Amino acid sequence: MHDEPDDARLEEELRELAARLEPVPDRLVQAALDAYAWRTIDAELAELAFDSLADQDAALVRGQQQERLLSFRASGLTIEVEVTAAGPARRLIGQLVPAQRAEVEIRHQDEVVTVATDEFGRFAAERLRAGPVSMRFGPAPGEGRPAVVTEWIPI
Amino acid sequence: MPTDPEWSRRAGDLVAAAARGDDAAWKALVEQFSGLIWSVTRAYRLGSADAADVFQVTWLRLAEHIGRLDHPEHVGAWLATTARREALRASRASARVFLTDDDAVFDAQDAGGETPEQAVLRSERADQLWRAFLTLPARCQLLLRLLMATPAPSYTEVAAALGRPVGSIGPTRARCLRLLREKLA
Repeated sequence: MHDEPDDARLEEELRELAARLEPVPDRLVQAALDAYAWRTIDAELAELAFDSLADQDAALVRGQQQERLLSFRASGLTIEVEVTAAGPARRLIGQLVPAQRAEVEIRHQDEVVTVATDEFGRFAAERLRAGPVSMRFGPAPGEGRPAVVTEWIPI
Repeated sequence: MPTDPEWSRRAGDLVAAAARGDDAAWKALVEQFSGLIWSVTRAYRLGSADAADVFQVTWLRLAEHIGRLDHPEHVGAWLATTARREALRASRASARVFLTDDDAVFDAQDAGGETPEQAVLRSERADQLWRAFLTLPARCQLLLRLLMATPAPSYTEVAAALGRPVGSIGPTRARCLRLLREKLA
């Protein structure tokens, strides 16, 4: 039977080995630092309420499912999004419920793609790179309600 | 391992400062917890693209929630929980589901092992230690990979990364380290 100091020593040896074999990649540390710039103070957060990848039966997900459905909820607003993959590119088709006009900023890696919803609250964006994405919905000019921003999610 | 109260107070202060716009506090959080989040991606055996996504999304989520955390002092556990959920989501997305407690399933996946950098393993002790580690039951590898994060995480954070009660960490750690020592003997 070994005592606690032996355990601590062995764990420390493993820690040093892991730090040499599998260090956090520098570019990811930089991405973590850069993430701070994306924070929004004034917007309401729409949380992820449904993800067909995570919430459906795993057996269904294993199939060659091309479309992924996401749903985000804020107070009084639901954002339904369909994600389609074509190789490394992603296509987003979304709709605001209830339908309303809004400016949509698709925040994605280092860039922002801006589109607008139509009268039915629909929007679309093509050729997005795979990776984390978040959408910010600004109200149409003249409307008093705050902007809504979705949680980040990898697509 | 740091003592939990001291660790939590410092983490809570950093979150409060970062929420007020203090860049240096955010940087300190990144330095403190990147190792833990990375260890979650290693523990759940994600490929490099999925690991990068999980790591980035976890930090982006914190940036989004920085002023809205119910318990800023438990930010480490919050990050570990977020990283675990995203790791499981990524596993599902890649049809590599790890939602199992069945060691046999994990052990079957262990068979291939990994090909760590030769340079590090040129040291006989390092090579021996890593080989022995890779023959441990999957449950032990999962726990030890989290404990192996730099800087050393608290048991509360490790428990959050596993989705298990904090009381289970100490006994499992002792059992796994004993097993590792036996393999090295």
